[in-house]
Amino acid sequence: MHNVLIIDDSDINLTLIKALVLKLGDCNPVLFANPLAGLEWCRENEPDLVIVDYMMPDMDGLKFIGAFRALHGRNEIPILMITANDQKDIRYDALLGGANDFLTKPIDRIEFSARARNMLSLRTGQKFLADRAEHLAALVDERTAEIREREKELIFRISRAAEFRDPETGAHIQRMAHYSQVIALGLDLSPQQQKLILEAAPMHDVGKIGIPDYILLKPGKLTPEEFEVMKGHSKIGYELLKNSHSEVIRAGAEVAISHHEKFDGTGYPYGLKGQQIPLFGRIVAVADVFDALTSERPYKRAWPLEDACRFLEDGRGKHFDSLCVEAFLAGWEHVLGIRQRFRDEEVPLI
Amino acid sequence: MAEAFVLDRASILERLGGDEDIYAMMVEMYLDDVDNNCVALGAAFDSGNASTLQREAHTIKGLLATFSDSEGAKNAMQIEHMARDGKIADLGDAVADLQHRLREVAAVLGGG
Repeated sequence: MHNVLIIDDSDINLTLIKALVLKLGDCNPVLFANPLAGLEWCRENEPDLVIVDYMMPDMDGLKFIGAFRALHGRNEIPILMITANDQKDIRYDALLGGANDFLTKPIDRIEFSARARNMLSLRTGQKFLADRAEHLAALVDERTAEIREREKELIFRISRAAEFRDPETGAHIQRMAHYSQVIALGLDLSPQQQKLILEAAPMHDVGKIGIPDYILLKPGKLTPEEFEVMKGHSKIGYELLKNSHSEVIRAGAEVAISHHEKFDGTGYPYGLKGQQIPLFGRIVAVADVFDALTSERPYKRAWPLEDACRFLEDGRGKHFDSLCVEAFLAGWEHVLGIRQRFRDEEVPLI
Repeated sequence: MAEAFVLDRASILERLGGDEDIYAMMVEMYLDDVDNNCVALGAAFDSGNASTLQREAHTIKGLLATFSDSEGAKNAMQIEHMARDGKIADLGDAVADLQHRLREVAAVLGGG
């Protein structure tokens, strides 16, 4: 059903045009003798066709068209303007002002029907394209969300693959990623950045894939030479993840290369200091160490929480960025919730 | 002396796509409104407001054209254009003639 707005200060014209519009079929005529009232209606309602007289008190047809076109979303709705035969200049002005076509008085039904039907066809086409564009946009959003979900799952599974070669667990990945998010929240990072670090942090140790088993799985202490090889996992992880088209994977590369740097410059691989260390690396350093300390492993018992907190505090400005430690401790309630949610024996997906 | 109005029902109906119902409805509305239209035209002239007179003459022009009264519509157009140009002082006779024409058309339509 098309809404056809008719504006004419003459009752007889309104009645005539209404009757002609009804003859078109599938149309709902909406009548206004006052153009200002018609314009007010248009603020809340969307006509499919506007038929407006030129000469009216209060506001003439040209001014009405200008005001109507200025309303949001009303710039393409077809407008038929009614003029007298001797008003050629006005017709030119109306065309420039946004009218699509004209009707001349006295109104001829055949001409009226043809022009009105053309305008309504135009409107139907516009609506079809708009609906299609909206549908396509929704489809793209849906597909993008699917791809993002798949990307997230793949990242998690790749990260787990690395962790499986290691005494670490899948739950460790989840906990340290969520701890990282808690720190990002405490540092007042944007929700987008909080989400980004949550998704990127699991990739911190992905480079362990490239470390030989005899070193990675060695039960005893590593020799200095072996430790040098072990340190290589940062660079291997970076090489695996760098230059990705995905923002999450690029963030993962940054985390991989920088999470073993220390605030005082004694970390690896580059011995970066303070703010030279990427923020995500400083955040993940706190989250990863805290979880490693408080988790039980075949070769060690879990540290009590107080001892682990003290270790973080003692490491402020040395191993860790003080602000990241403070943000972590400020989110302690969240930390406890995360420990509860991701236990070592259960590994839910993110 | 203006030519007398002759009702050309066939041409009006042709323009209305042969729709007798619309024709009857328009005649009825014309007859209902003719007094108001005459009064509004006279008042516009008496007020000395050129743009009001221009608008009233324009409305009557469309009304008479609807009933295929090209002579009456032409007279209304002359008043409309004179008013548009601000020359309304000498339009008294023309306005009275147009009011007479409106009633003449009404009489023919009412009789037809």
